[in-house]
Amino acid sequence: MIAYFVACYPNFEQSLEIIKKSIDAGVSICEIGFPTQEASGEGIVIKNAHDHCLERNITLKDTLKLARAVRDYNKDVGIILMGYMSNIFRYPIDNFVKDLAAADSDGCLIVDAPHELKEEQQLRNALNKENLSLIKLVAPTTTEVRLKKLSKLFSGWVYSLNFSGITGSKPVDLDEVKKMIKRIKNHTDLPICSGFGIKSPEDAKKIANAGCDGIIVGSSIVDFITKNLDDTKLPENIGKNIENFVKELR
Amino acid sequence: MSKEKIKNSIKTGSDRDGYFGEYGGIAAGENLMANLEELKKAFEDAIKDKKFLDEFAYYCKHWIGRPSPIYFAERLTKKIGGAKIYFKQEHLNHTGSHKPTNTLFQVLLAKRMGKKKIICESGAGQHWSAAAATAAKFGIPILGVMGKIDCARVNQNLIKAKHYGGKLKVVEGSLREAITAAIKEWSNNPDYYYLIGSTCSSSPFVDIVRYAQSIIGKEMREQFMELEGKLPNEIVACAGAGSNFTGSIFEFLDEPEIKKVVVEAEETAALTNGTKGIQQGMVTKFLQSDDGSKSLGGSSLGAGIMYYGISPQLAHLNDIGAIEASTASDKELLETYKLVAQNEGIGISFEPAAAITEALKRAKGKAKDYIICATACGRVEKDLDVIEKLIGKDFE
Repeated sequence: MIAYFVACYPNFEQSLEIIKKSIDAGVSICEIGFPTQEASGEGIVIKNAHDHCLERNITLKDTLKLARAVRDYNKDVGIILMGYMSNIFRYPIDNFVKDLAAADSDGCLIVDAPHELKEEQQLRNALNKENLSLIKLVAPTTTEVRLKKLSKLFSGWVYSLNFSGITGSKPVDLDEVKKMIKRIKNHTDLPICSGFGIKSPEDAKKIANAGCDGIIVGSSIVDFITKNLDDTKLPENIGKNIENFVKELR
Repeated sequence: MSKEKIKNSIKTGSDRDGYFGEYGGIAAGENLMANLEELKKAFEDAIKDKKFLDEFAYYCKHWIGRPSPIYFAERLTKKIGGAKIYFKQEHLNHTGSHKPTNTLFQVLLAKRMGKKKIICESGAGQHWSAAAATAAKFGIPILGVMGKIDCARVNQNLIKAKHYGGKLKVVEGSLREAITAAIKEWSNNPDYYYLIGSTCSSSPFVDIVRYAQSIIGKEMREQFMELEGKLPNEIVACAGAGSNFTGSIFEFLDEPEIKKVVVEAEETAALTNGTKGIQQGMVTKFLQSDDGSKSLGGSSLGAGIMYYGISPQLAHLNDIGAIEASTASDKELLETYKLVAQNEGIGISFEPAAAITEALKRAKGKAKDYIICATACGRVEKDLDVIEKLIGKDFE
């Protein structure tokens, strides 16, 4: 199971606790989102969490610190930074990759950086040199011709979008998911992970049975945090929440 | 000159990857890539299709009322004392701005692509009312997205668009947030046509809008040759993202002797004060925090020039010195509005007041046969309430 967290949401310490408890509960890859104002691929739940962090001046640097702390806690868990090109470009790209390697993370996933973007190529080359992955996304709207081109760039694993749209916005159509995974499998042997619209352990089970190698849960975890911000047992409860997902996946 | 093949021409669209020099490109989510590819192909096919272009020209003339005239602002010229000041009267177009030329072109393109519904964003609501009018004319449903700040001050455009049958979604913020929200709507509904209002966002939008709006400069060439027997020495136009300015100057890009001056709102002058970044689907200059996580910039009276980014093509042209950039303040916009109203009997909106402010500054003291043309890209209706509130007593 892959879990998405907004970095330092609601703050650095609690965010780290939440991630630790999630790893204990069986999360195998942590996707840590670095906050940005535009967040053009995010639905309202994740967007609000980004805004919360921006108000507290959380930056990509803080996100890298968090990633380092997560690595210090667990040597084996996968750590992927997720976000938008704006922050990485301004970091700038080469320094980001150096710091990502120093944080001992595994790679990153950039929502608004198709391989046609020259700056994506610059980022990908820099990551390759450090032996880090740039996770690529495939959408239901991705054409076969494009999928073939993309498959040559796949690294680490493949993020398969369950629907075309922003995060948390639609229910999942299981037949569509199966079709997507089959399409991608024709082009790669790398693990395929399905994301978007997985709201419950039941959803997770259904999607896992559709043939993917992993599932990604994002909005529903962030939503749980938002709804229980004042709960002192928030990290533990997130852990329990995640255990319920993981149980269904075994 | 226009018939010769010019060496190292800068009068071009984006390169193969959608860039203008180091700006532009495609910074979009994977789920929109197929749409952008489809759009690029449809655009390239359409502009080779004589029937399509004839239809565009027909409705430009009979529905929009093009060509918009050029007008010698004689009393203003006398008052300033210097160069001859001309207006390119884009505010006389149907719906009252330069916007319907772009919406007409793109709605015809959407129709040609077989799209059944249209989404658009808007800042000043000039694009929204033009888009809604065009969609009504061709019987295609349209959804618009605008920021709350803008909706509160351009009510006339909202009422017009509503009467044309447009459905409006209001989001927090202004044009920046409206673009993001419209792109999200499009992500959720990739079978719709996204009718962008200016020369911004991912390739091929910048080229599409520039193609449609470059009619402004083409008309200017013919009109000045006919009326003055020569071309203007300077062309001045305002820019939010830049469609009005780009449309005004593109025709003359390979004629460096003609000065091209872009005027942004002082509070959101991305060309003058911005830094390079990647947001809103493109690489360009933005007013942004150092780390790229937040946008910066204040508020301008000119809703249509209050944008924290700029067309990537204009960022490139500015870098290579092909255009000059300037700014205008709210105070200047109000002063210029008043001058134009009282001396020429023309009610311009805040946006072109920025261009005319700059034109007046440049005209002062120049030779009497020197010509400066400012594009008057909008009429005042949408701003009347604000103007009346701020300086209404000046007219009593």
